[in-house]
Formats: sequence, structure tokens, C-alpha cells
Amino acid sequence: MSSPEFAPPPERRTDTYGRNAAYNQKKCFQVAQGFFLDAVRRARERNDRLKDLERRLESPEMLLRREQLWSHSGKLEARYLRFLRTKEQLSNYSVVKTIGKGYFGEVKLVRKIQDGRVYALKRLFKSEMISKEQLPRVRAERDALAESDSEWVTKLYTTFQDNTSLYMLMEFCPGGDLMTILIKFQIFSEDITRFYAAEIINAIEAVHNLGFIHRDIKPDNILLDRGGHIKLADFGLSKSFRKDHDSRYYQELLQRPASTSQMTRPGNRVSVNIDAIQLTVSNRSQINEWRRSRRLMAYSSVGTPDYIAPELFYDQGYSFEIDWWSLGTIIYECLVGWPPFASENPQDTYRKIVNWQHTLFFPDDIQLSHNAVHLIRCMITQPENRLGRNGAIEIKSHPFFAGVDFTTLRRIRAPFEPPLTSDIDTSCFPVEDLPQTEDPTPSPAGADEYEMFLPFIGYTYKRFQTSYT
Amino acid sequence: MMGSADEALNAYQLPKPLPIWLNPAYARHIVKGNFMTLSARPKTVEEGEWVAHQVVEHYRNLWNFVRVIYEKEEDGKTLCNSTTCPRMSAGANHSYTWLNSRFEPIELPAFEYITLMQRWISGKIDDTKMFPTEASGVSFSHNPQITTTALLNGPDEWVGKRSGFPQEFFGICQTIFLQMFRVYAHLYWAHYTEPFYHLNLEKQLNSCFSHFVLTATALDLLKPQELEPMQPLIDLWAANGTFPPESKAYEYANLKVGQRLLQLAGMA
Repeated sequence: MSSPEFAPPPERRTDTYGRNAAYNQKKCFQVAQGFFLDAVRRARERNDRLKDLERRLESPEMLLRREQLWSHSGKLEARYLRFLRTKEQLSNYSVVKTIGKGYFGEVKLVRKIQDGRVYALKRLFKSEMISKEQLPRVRAERDALAESDSEWVTKLYTTFQDNTSLYMLMEFCPGGDLMTILIKFQIFSEDITRFYAAEIINAIEAVHNLGFIHRDIKPDNILLDRGGHIKLADFGLSKSFRKDHDSRYYQELLQRPASTSQMTRPGNRVSVNIDAIQLTVSNRSQINEWRRSRRLMAYSSVGTPDYIAPELFYDQGYSFEIDWWSLGTIIYECLVGWPPFASENPQDTYRKIVNWQHTLFFPDDIQLSHNAVHLIRCMITQPENRLGRNGAIEIKSHPFFAGVDFTTLRRIRAPFEPPLTSDIDTSCFPVEDLPQTEDPTPSPAGADEYEMFLPFIGYTYKRFQTSYT
Repeated sequence: MMGSADEALNAYQLPKPLPIWLNPAYARHIVKGNFMTLSARPKTVEEGEWVAHQVVEHYRNLWNFVRVIYEKEEDGKTLCNSTTCPRMSAGANHSYTWLNSRFEPIELPAFEYITLMQRWISGKIDDTKMFPTEASGVSFSHNPQITTTALLNGPDEWVGKRSGFPQEFFGICQTIFLQMFRVYAHLYWAHYTEPFYHLNLEKQLNSCFSHFVLTATALDLLKPQELEPMQPLIDLWAANGTFPPESKAYEYANLKVGQRLLQLAGMA
């Protein structure tokens, strides 16, 4: 290694530098590494697009359209390059309305000032993310969405940040979410349930094929697009198979006594005693009360546990089939009107879920087909027996779905098509329940530096868009 | 044969012993394989658009390293200051001057020079007349087998014209690359050990700089004679396989010097 011709390498001493140098060292290390990872990925994708173009240029029926193909491709690439070199910041967008709210942030309908396009902009507060140790989850969501190119998953166009927040610019699904429709229609027929269940199966399958477990499948995260077809959103809890899981989080929640728990539902829900076992059709208004309280619950730090599989509460590990349990609970809710383990407070819901053998109950006054009950019982069961553990095809083959063509679902008419009057129609969102805050203040100058805030390096992402109309 | 390599090496008038960054053991990378694909212009993309993209990416990369020597420590000092680097230099043989408002060359401490360089480059990059960002203004490259659009030659045609870049755009980009090259050269000559080697960042620096040289030469943003203060490292990277034989950077290298450096380190 050392040769007299060269200056002898001194012993490495990182300790002689100050704190700022140590901090900048980490930044520098990560940025350089991130640059090459991104650059290699983009070059590979660019190469794939070029090969695709060349193949189409060769095809005889494209003979007269070759110039158009070429120039279109060149312009698409150029627009992407311009997108990459411009700074994304809040002031590039004008806010139309707040359409969603969660504990860690909010979702706003925005219009990009430059091209007039409409998007959903999700904002997550950095301080909350750090204090509640949510960073791996944010990262998981960004990774899952960035890697996905599925029609069943909401598209992530870009991520950016400023000193207070992370932003995710996403496809706007104007149909609202499944929870809102459930509140509106209270109960679905088996036909309508079959349609949504079949679409959710395809969506979960798409996520699993990417190597991700969603972990948080629930009606609030099932969005409806312009045609009323579903798209999965909110991958904040999604877990790549590669990463560690954290069940301690749930364990602590389980062990916490009800009175001191932060899990107590907000609002005046405490006064209404609702227990799923006692619920009947006659107290539908209470069910809706329960649903509205669940919407408030969605704004709290923990969210509702109603759809979570029992094995997620234990340290024994879990896998893709936890998402199928969640689907079972959603099918139950669509048909019955409330999820199977609905309770007064989350602790009781947790206890019911872990004792599902004794607490899963179908009310007598609701007529369900044998196939529907059988399907639900095959999904709300221990993971070793759960339908779907050997792939989505198991569920698709269940008699409940007899006659469903899973490959053409998105082309048939959805049972509920959002009646939209404009590209910023928010009539499917509970906007009146949400505080409509001021327009965002433009990020202060030097927004670039915030990107360098250590825990968030590498968060920024920009997707190649195949259509600019 | 090695005689001529030694002559060429001596002609560089390098300090003895040779600087640590010329030691092949420390000229390594965080990236493996041929990264020419990262700087090769996609066939359908108009040249000016690609150059603009590369300028911005390399500027971001360079500043990632400059930040380490440029930001204040808790005691208010920067690692690069007028005591450590009273001149903007790349070794004893190269020092760079900045033009003052009367267009006179002036010598400056490296820190001041970098400040002026940063202000000048970001002034250009952030100027949407120089670097347009409107999505609607984009164009595509000419392909004689496919596109029929008549292209002018001569003084009425320039790099980036069809995409809305001004006539002086390419010249400005060459100057930006020249300025960035000088800063890289200063980082190697003045700060390679203090602090990059000690902070375990020399492989990162090598990768970003070799990618910079590959891009600059492939797109004619730097001329061979402008590479001078870093020529021995370029020679070494041609000899150790960092620069593939089909690259312009390889073409500009003196392979024999690079091989001699490998030999001196016992790695040939």
C-alpha cells in the first residue's frame, strides 16, 4: 500500500473536527451515495424507454408516425429533465381546499400554478415525525409509492420538503374514500360488496407483488378515482419485506391501562356505549356516530385498530397475509354495517381481535349468504389457515367471487360513480369537517438547504411522467 | 519506455513525495462499472437540454463537498479560510484569479473565490432566461433518418436554440464547468487529506470528480489543456480502468504516466 514515492497516508482522525464537520460528513456521504443510486436508476429507466421507442420505430404500422414518436419521446425526456432541475416548493402550488387530515399532517387539493394541473398534496410535519419516530414509516410510504406503477395504487409524482414539512404530490382521487361511501350508504348489497372486494384484492395483490405489505388496509385508505374505481393510498405503515418490523409499538398500546391511554377517542364518544355485539339494525344512527368518531380517530396519532390482524400485536412475526385479514374485516363491514370488532375504545377492540375465536359474531337480523359468511370466516382466522396465504388466487377462486372476471374490473362501470362538476370538485370529501387553513406561505429562500436536513436526505423523489396533456 | 513515462511525470512538476490522492490505493470509488451511461445524452434529447441538466447535477454534487470546507464550525471558523488557503490554488504551479468589476484579474483567498463562484453560478442556473424551466418550451434532437425538420447550420444555429436556450448558453456552461473544475482542483490539492481523507470521504470525492471529468470531456465542456492541474489523476484513472477506452477522458490521458503511477505503487 505505502510506497516511498507517495506521501505516507496519515492515520485517519475524524475526531479532530468539530460537530458541524461530523454532521456535514454524514450529509456528504449520503448525498454522494444517493446521487449515484438515483443516477443509475434513472439511466436504466431511460434506457428501457429508449429500447421501447426503438421497437416501436421499427414496427411497420408506425412508419408514418415515426417522426411523431421520436419528437414526442424527446419532449417527454426533456420535460422530465426540466422537472428534475427545477426546485419544487410549496409556492409552485395554489391550494383549493383541505380534503383530509391526519395526526401527522394533512392532505390538500392543489393546483400547480405553472400548468394548471390538479393534485393531492400530502403534508407531513417533520417535528411530529421525529418525536413520534415515524421516519421509517414515511420512508416506507415514499419507497412503496415510488416503486409502484400500478393503476391500483395512488401515483406519487414528486416529494419535496421545507424546514417544517415533507410534501408528497399525489394523484387526486376525486371520488373520496370508501369510508365516506360507507357512511353515506350504511350497508352494501352483496353485489356491490363483491365489486369493491374484488378490486381491493387486485390492489393488495399489486402491492404484494412489489414486495410490500400494506399493514394498514382500511376503508379510509381505499380511495375512489374519477370513475369510482379504487386505489390504495396511505402507505405510511407499509412494510417492505426487507425491513424490520416493530411490534413493540402495539405491545405497549395493549399493556397501557385504558384511563391513561392516548388511545381514547377524541370528542364526546365516551358517553355513547356501543359494543358490536349489542349493535342491531335499529341503532343505525349510533353506528354512524361510531363511524364519524372513527373519522376523528383517523386524525389521532394512532388511528383505528379495527382492521388490524392479531399477529401484528405479537412479536412472533407476520407476513403478507395480514392484509387479507384486513380485507375480511372490510367485507364484513360492507355487509353488516360495522367492522367485526368495533368497540367503545381501542383497548376493547384490541382484546376482541386477539380473542377473535370468541368475538367474531354475525348478527341474526342481517341476511348474509352462506358464501359471504364462509369467505369472511376464511379470512378472519389464524394466519396458517387464512385464505390468501398462498396468493390472491385462493381468494379469487372462492365461490363468493364466482363469475367475477378479475382482469377486466377496471373497465366495467363502478357501482358508485362520483358526480363531478369540475376538476376541483370536492363534494365527495368531508371538507366541512375540516379546518380550511390559509394558503401555504411560500418557503423561505434557500429551500435547498432543508433538503439537507440529515434524517430527510434522500426523501426527495421525482417521477418520470408518461403523459403531459 | 518507462523513461518517457518518467519524463512526462516529471514534466508535471509534482511535489515529492507524490500527493496521496495520486496513490492508486486512494484513487478508488464508491461506484463500480462504466458510468459513461450517466453522462451520455439520450438520443432523442436536444443537446442544450442535456447540457443544462448536467450542469445542475454536477453543481449540486460539487457543492456537497464544498459545504464540508465552507460551512462554519461552532467556533466560527471554516476549514478553508484565508490562513489555510490565502490564494485560490491547485498546487504550487496553479493559482486562479477572479476578474473584478474593472475586469482586472485579482488574487483572492480560496474561500472568497468560492463565494464569488457560487454566487455567479447560481445566478446563471436560477435565471430562467439562461436555464428555461417552462415545460412547454421543450424540443427534441434532430435525427436525419427520422425527423424532417430543417436544421440551420452556421451562426444562426446554436446548442439549445430549439429548446429556448439563449445563444450564449453553451459558452456560459463551459465557463461554469471551468469554474467547477478549479474548485475540484482546489479540493484535491489543498483539502484532500484535510478534511476529506480524515472524514472518510475520499472515495465519494473521487467518484463525483471522475464522473465530472467524464461528463465535461464527453460534452466538450472542458478542453484538454484546461485539465492540466489534475492531469496525473486523469492519467491514473485511464490506466486503472476508471475511464473506459472509448471515453474522451481516456483519449486525453497519458496512459504511460498512469501505468507508471500504478507501477510506483506496486499495483501494475
